[in-house]
Amino acid sequence: MKKSKTITLVLITSALASCHKEQQSGASGSWDQKKVYMRSDTTASYTRTHYHSGVAGALLWYYAFRPYGRYNNGRYDHAGYYSGGLHTRSNTGTNSTKSAIVRGGFGRGGSSVS
Amino acid sequence: MQRNRISPRHNWEKAVEQLGFGFHSTNVPYWDESAYYSFSLAEILKLETATADLWDMCLNAVQFVIDTRQYARFHIPDWFVPEIERSWNEDHPSIYGRFDLAYNNGEIKLLEFNADTPTSLYEAGIVQWYWLQDFDKGKDQFNSIHEKLVDYWGYLKQYLLPGKLHFSCVKRSLEDLTTTEYLRDCAIQAGIDTQLVFIDDIGWDEERKVFADMEEEDIKNLFKLYPWEWIVQDAFGKRIPEDRNKALWIEPAWRMILSNKAILPILWHLYPDHPYLLKAYFDQGDLVSYARKPILSREGANIMLVKQGLPLQQTGGEYGAEGYVYQDLYELPAFEGHYPVIGSWVIGQQPAGMGIRESNGLITNNTSRFIPHLIV
Repeated sequence: MKKSKTITLVLITSALASCHKEQQSGASGSWDQKKVYMRSDTTASYTRTHYHSGVAGALLWYYAFRPYGRYNNGRYDHAGYYSGGLHTRSNTGTNSTKSAIVRGGFGRGGSSVS
Repeated sequence: MQRNRISPRHNWEKAVEQLGFGFHSTNVPYWDESAYYSFSLAEILKLETATADLWDMCLNAVQFVIDTRQYARFHIPDWFVPEIERSWNEDHPSIYGRFDLAYNNGEIKLLEFNADTPTSLYEAGIVQWYWLQDFDKGKDQFNSIHEKLVDYWGYLKQYLLPGKLHFSCVKRSLEDLTTTEYLRDCAIQAGIDTQLVFIDDIGWDEERKVFADMEEEDIKNLFKLYPWEWIVQDAFGKRIPEDRNKALWIEPAWRMILSNKAILPILWHLYPDHPYLLKAYFDQGDLVSYARKPILSREGANIMLVKQGLPLQQTGGEYGAEGYVYQDLYELPAFEGHYPVIGSWVIGQQPAGMGIRESNGLITNNTSRFIPHLIV
């Protein structure tokens, strides 16, 4: 039950510490009150973002625009970007590569397990 | 076991945030270092032994449920049974679980087993250890969680399918993300190639019949902090038997049996009068004082405590449609109005440490507080 003298964390400290910020309030309003429209693909339409949570600090993590593409015979073909925080309509548009795979079949209501 | 009141570190919020622990407080405090629990080494050894014994008993109970095909008791759909049996017979990789134990006057009793999606791992493995370094470096803790996670991921590496190990949880929960990313951190340190993909972003390639991540790379191995009972209800749940990659899911499907409270009467049936168990039935049986628990529920929801036939305490929630189990009422020890439950971790088949959550009532729920501990 003895612990090591030193614990190494290669990933979590910087990534998650950056997620924790106090929620904005006051004159500038909270994130909940802001109307932000985004799209991740130029072929797609803008939709209003829908993030609402007590932990506004996780916003950057949540809205991250991640590279989207596929591996083809060992070669990576970049198709654009995708954000899980946006409506499918604003992620895909007419980009056929992005629409090849169906998403959203897991995650019933997005409830936390904890 | 004693509860000791202390002054929190003057910069405790900053100290824990620097560790990446961003959910230390919500509407109510969650991380609470205004007290700690102290244990003798003999007490810790007893808890460690109990954890190892309970783990063995649980594995036997899974075999019993499978052999006697009691899936209906667990509300496991017929179509998913082959997945459970395959994951059990092929010994698919699993990493962790947390027993919730009551510890009172030297007695240890199993309250339930969080075998599928346990959380509070980061608090137990990392945050309370760093607290101890500041509070009393010379003392020890029942805590080898971090070391065992790194070691066991290293061991499991050879049993994974070729390709990345993906890690997944829901969006919008910093607590879930922290647990998931901590586990991924340990896997990276064990030399495993990993990738995070949120559970709602997982894709299904209808043509190729495989699950895919955001880069359309096949998912071959997936750690998911997302319960099996939700997976089988989700639209993609029925795609799992069709998956041509036969991806390895961690925790494996057979954990659906252990994480269900129907395992409590099964354990009592197999080990009647065992000192670590409380009487438990699928009906009230001969119980006059009992805890009625939904077979599928989370965070202390929909629990009713009855003492001598009279209601003692009850929580609300949305669970219970699948039925209930009845467990002999065992009152938690009270320390000046604080009721602690010990979360004892099993990592890689071995006891690995503990975290204590404390409530103001007998039911531990999502407003309970995490209190650190040490060994005197």
